[in-house]
Amino acid sequence: MNRLAQAVWERRPQTVTRIVDAHAHAGPYSVFFIPDPDPAGMLRVMDRCGVAHAVLSSHLAIQLDAAAGNAATAAIVDQAPDRFSGYLTVNPWQDPEGELARWGDDPRFAGIKIHPDLHDYPLTGARYAPVWEFAAASRFPVLTHTYSGSPYNDLHHVDEVAARHPGVTVLAGHSGVTPLGIDQAIEVAKRHERVILEVCGSYNSGADIVRMVREVGQDRVVYGSDFPFIDLRMSLGRILFSQLTEEERAAVLGGTVTGLLGGRGA
Amino acid sequence: MSEDLPVLIDADAMLGRHPRRDVGGGTAAELLAAMDRVGVSGALVTNMTSWLHDPARGNRGLLGLVAGEPRLSPCWVLLPDTCGEIGAGFAEAAVAAGVRAVRAFPADHGYDLAGPDVAPVLDALSSVRLPLLVDAGQAGWPVVEAVARAHPRLRIVVGGAGYRMLRQIAGVLDRAQNVYVGLADLSSHRGLEWLVERFGAGRFVFGTGAPYRDPAEAVTRLLWSELDDAQVAAIGGGNLRRLIGQEVRAA
Repeated sequence: MNRLAQAVWERRPQTVTRIVDAHAHAGPYSVFFIPDPDPAGMLRVMDRCGVAHAVLSSHLAIQLDAAAGNAATAAIVDQAPDRFSGYLTVNPWQDPEGELARWGDDPRFAGIKIHPDLHDYPLTGARYAPVWEFAAASRFPVLTHTYSGSPYNDLHHVDEVAARHPGVTVLAGHSGVTPLGIDQAIEVAKRHERVILEVCGSYNSGADIVRMVREVGQDRVVYGSDFPFIDLRMSLGRILFSQLTEEERAAVLGGTVTGLLGGRGA
Repeated sequence: MSEDLPVLIDADAMLGRHPRRDVGGGTAAELLAAMDRVGVSGALVTNMTSWLHDPARGNRGLLGLVAGEPRLSPCWVLLPDTCGEIGAGFAEAAVAAGVRAVRAFPADHGYDLAGPDVAPVLDALSSVRLPLLVDAGQAGWPVVEAVARAHPRLRIVVGGAGYRMLRQIAGVLDRAQNVYVGLADLSSHRGLEWLVERFGAGRFVFGTGAPYRDPAEAVTRLLWSELDDAQVAAIGGGNLRRLIGQEVRAA
């Protein structure tokens, strides 16, 4: 058993490597009850496990109001700037250019978050044009929700925007979610070197993550949890007990995303 | 594992291939290797054939699959006996065969778990004190509660709770003392701690959902929880031993 898995079994926080969660949120979400969804509850879980940093977008930003939600994200980063950095959420129906102008230079933000499924708008749609323009200029990575079979953010949508914008780093959130989606995400990542596979979701497994790393490389796969939407430990455990090498595991858990953020945030 | 570490017994594992996901060959050897990778000592196992092809054949075949595997204990799948598929003495036959629990797939097998067709089988399970395992997606929480009320001596373990159901789970656990929750995909942020604080560790049973789910999820969720060691030990294996009234074999 590797040293990280040993820490789990010994019920103590891991201290082996710097873990950065590339896909986090914060706050309540109307569809279901989340215990302790605020930063204090999130830090409690991070400390329990030894997770150093999380890059987050507030649930308010993705679910209801990008402007108010981005302000909420910035306020959360203010509470613990060494532990959190923000994704600037762009809702295609809520003034994308205005949000990018308002927060684009703010050091509390390290990337852009888009969620086509929640906003009933395709990843390939023209309303996202300011996102790609801004990301190409700023080098901010763009984290998009993906789900195999979705009319808005299927893997073929990722394929299309990656081809259109080869200079933009696209984090494929959830890597398509389903077993089929994971296969499709790997294929898209093979075609586009700046598509990065982010691994949180309800159906991923350690074996899938090993396959991702073997197929596209440890510098193309990043840990995310989706917490507090889903508990942080679900996705983390898959990586800790997987059959990755120690070097690969460290890259997936934090090294790769730290490089992608280019000194911002994490 | 050291004697100081908790013993984890998986109440939610299966043998066999899966038609919609590469889970390997689904052999006992593969399951045992997966258990060793994450530190699980023993498991109650259901035959994928019982779920996704022929329950009676799968139940019979399961006994052969676990024979000679002291870490694996059999869990059969029930049906209503309206078509004579499982026989009137199903519960007694299960006990005689060494079966430790019985699982239901009402959605996938086309019957109502709270209806009259399966009620005699559930009564029989109550009589022989075999717990019932059912995934939340197979029955739904209102059905689970109705079954618990209609069969108050039946112990029901609901698995596959996901992360969207705490509003319903909390209500059912409050009203139905014979309902327990499995850990496979119990994935609300701090949900396990929140539930244990309200209902006690005795209402939760370790399970992984292997091989469809990665067993590392449930192991990490439980061992890296904020629960104390006694609570982890109870959930990890103690509660299951109590539910089945006998020892589950472990490494």
